[in-house]
Amino acid sequence: MMDRLTTVLGVGGIGCFAVAFLLSGAYPYAITDGREPEAGWDEIAKDVSPDFKDMAVRFPGGFAGLEGGPDAAKAGAPEDAWRAAYAKAIRRGRDIYIAEACWHCHSQYVRPVANEDIRFGKVRSSRDDNNVAQRPVLWGTRRVGPDLTHEGGLRSNDWHAAHLLDPQSTSPGSVMPRYEWYFADGWQVARRVDPAVAARERLDPATARAVSGVYASEDEAKAEMARIAASLPDERSSEKTRMSVVRAKGPTPDGVAVLAYLQWLGTWEAPPKEGGAE
Amino acid sequence: MSSITASPAGDAAHDGAAESAVPLVAKNLVKLHLIASILWMISSMTWGFLASLQFLHAYPAEGIEWFSFGRIRLLHTNEIAYGCLVNGFIGCLYYVVPRLTGRKVLSAGLGLLVFWVWQFLTVATSVGQLLGKTQALEWGETPTGFKPGTFELNYIPVDFLIEVGAVLVALQFMTPIVKAMKERMYVSLWYISAGIVWLILTYVMGNTLVEWNFPGSSGAAASGLYIHDLVGLFVTPMGWGMMYFFVPIILRKPIWSHALSVIGFWSLAFFYPLNGVHHYLLSSIPMSVQYGAVISTMAVEIVVTTVIVNFFGTMWGRGRAIHSNLTIRWFYTGMILYFITCLQCAVHTTLSVQKVIHFTDWVPGHAHLVMLGVFSFWIIGMTQWLWPRMTGNEWYSRRLNHWQYWLTLIGLFTMFVDLLAAGVIHGYMLDALSPWMDIVRAMYPFWLLRTIAGGMILAGQILFFWNLWKTARTPKPYDHRWDLVDAGGAA
Ligand code: HEC
Repeated sequence: MMDRLTTVLGVGGIGCFAVAFLLSGAYPYAITDGREPEAGWDEIAKDVSPDFKDMAVRFPGGFAGLEGGPDAAKAGAPEDAWRAAYAKAIRRGRDIYIAEACWHCHSQYVRPVANEDIRFGKVRSSRDDNNVAQRPVLWGTRRVGPDLTHEGGLRSNDWHAAHLLDPQSTSPGSVMPRYEWYFADGWQVARRVDPAVAARERLDPATARAVSGVYASEDEAKAEMARIAASLPDERSSEKTRMSVVRAKGPTPDGVAVLAYLQWLGTWEAPPKEGGAE
Repeated sequence: MSSITASPAGDAAHDGAAESAVPLVAKNLVKLHLIASILWMISSMTWGFLASLQFLHAYPAEGIEWFSFGRIRLLHTNEIAYGCLVNGFIGCLYYVVPRLTGRKVLSAGLGLLVFWVWQFLTVATSVGQLLGKTQALEWGETPTGFKPGTFELNYIPVDFLIEVGAVLVALQFMTPIVKAMKERMYVSLWYISAGIVWLILTYVMGNTLVEWNFPGSSGAAASGLYIHDLVGLFVTPMGWGMMYFFVPIILRKPIWSHALSVIGFWSLAFFYPLNGVHHYLLSSIPMSVQYGAVISTMAVEIVVTTVIVNFFGTMWGRGRAIHSNLTIRWFYTGMILYFITCLQCAVHTTLSVQKVIHFTDWVPGHAHLVMLGVFSFWIIGMTQWLWPRMTGNEWYSRRLNHWQYWLTLIGLFTMFVDLLAAGVIHGYMLDALSPWMDIVRAMYPFWLLRTIAGGMILAGQILFFWNLWKTARTPKPYDHRWDLVDAGGAA
């Protein structure tokens, strides 16, 4: 009777499939993630990372394009406004991470072997990954680039921006693709270095040093320049004449979202269980 | 068990010139699907080749959003799975199922519909991935059509439509199988009918759970289950089902042992799907589940051995066919590579080997051996056997077919060994805490060789397509002497 179609389909087709599903799908779910509710966006974005706040200053042009960005960037914005903008930004960044298939070159999965905890940081527990940013799961499949589980806070925003725009600028020889479309032309306030200072510090006298973030429009940058000029004390008033608005590349709202996601990675961990150690 | 002795070798007499007046086989559907399969194979390999250039700092489209490396790499894998393998298998099913059941498929009109729907979905998948509508599910990056993890529609719901397509395929082929089930049920039909059911179940399971239900580690478990079920419960049974049909027909003798084929089928059904979690070993998935996956992966090797023994038993006494018949040569090369692949699985599923090779180029090396070296080889072999019969024309050039064989085989084997070596070096450098860029630099020579090997493989398939095209276009009656594998019909 092993060869009847009904047996083949019933026992083989459905039966074996179901057994495997129960043993290696339903069972692990039941004893791990199924036990606790999955952490939502609000929960994982409740501690706004200082790097995210820094983005509002550094990339004001892109930041203003984030959902909730303008509210958060207002002077003295309440923490709730920040949280709302943060949750939306890391979610947008996560979606781009999926769309660009960053997860085909980067893992988010530190193993307890091969010195990975030394290189990448703490081995994550299933509770730490029981959150909405890991659904669909982003453990990855190949490490052409390093693991990103604990990327948040590891590097500065400027480093990430430069790296995303052109990975070889920070990591010569890197095979990571350039992501130029997450950057747009913007305007920045720049200051000419005093020739005497430049000579002393062996700087190129023509180098313009940035004193503001990257704005999306020239007018905003000019307004910022006026603000900076007004705030300079009298003894530095000569600097005013050496300030100008120059073109600069800055991350678009999508670019800021990617950076927000990268700077979020690993900063959230499941709170310890009540009633003692696991 | 009288029914399983209805070996397809008995049908051999009907081949070629003896085709009956009422066509049992819808030749146009066979041809359409096969040519689509080869075209998708070439397309997929082109993306793969281009993607490999990224690693040599030579990718021409770098900086262009839609053709960024991450996106085209998805096209490479998804087109081979949904474009090449699915079309290839469906094409062969149009030949095999009517032959084995003695009945026509449900409807030729439905066949055309399914053909075009399937091509549309494969194109929609590729376009969607270029546009960034990818789903984060390995081997199932076909767009859900929803924003990740939500129910907000943002693209054509490809996943859902593939499911509809799969049900139509099931109707098409299950109709003759169900009608014939009382009379004869040759082992190929078990594999084929189970494979169709498994495809539907697997696809629904993987595409919904990982996206909407299971986060983190349980999502990874379900994702591993999906990856493995897709290969093990759809591609593998289809492939073996075809082998059980074509090998006896071409060698003109029955399969060596029917008992072994029964064992092979049931142990595949039982052990294969239990392997899933071995894609995420040394992870936060419960250890008991990981060990279960390791043990069943090893068990699969035993199963595979029974199947291989069966096919080499069948070959016994007809060894010359390897030399004289290119189809048989593709088939048996594929089987040897299958054996190597599975032996590899049994070894590298152990945690101590995983420690070194996981996340390295070893894995793509292994994957190419299975997806190209086994299943694509079989599809090429079947296409070579069917094409002259379906067009009625003699090959435009048999020599080109030999060129294809050697280019593909040498290219693949070079790539395999190359990536394995790269993987081991990567793994030990990781353990040794070498700076990441040192690891990347150490990979350059391997990546260069991979590109060259990939170029050879791609060139082989382009020759093949050219040959198929010219064969269909050049009327010249097919020479049946080539069929006489044991009579020394030299190639
Ligand atoms: C071709 C594979 C590849 C792809 C695709 C890729 N990366 Fe990378 N990535 C690398 C490599 C290689 C490195 C290591 C060298 C370097 O720093 O550039 C790296 C490094 C990084 C780093 C620095 C890690 C550190 O702290 O050293 C970050 C952050 C990063 N990638 C983010 C991303 C993001 C975000 C994406 C998708 C938009 C992405 N990568 C896509 C290969 C890739």
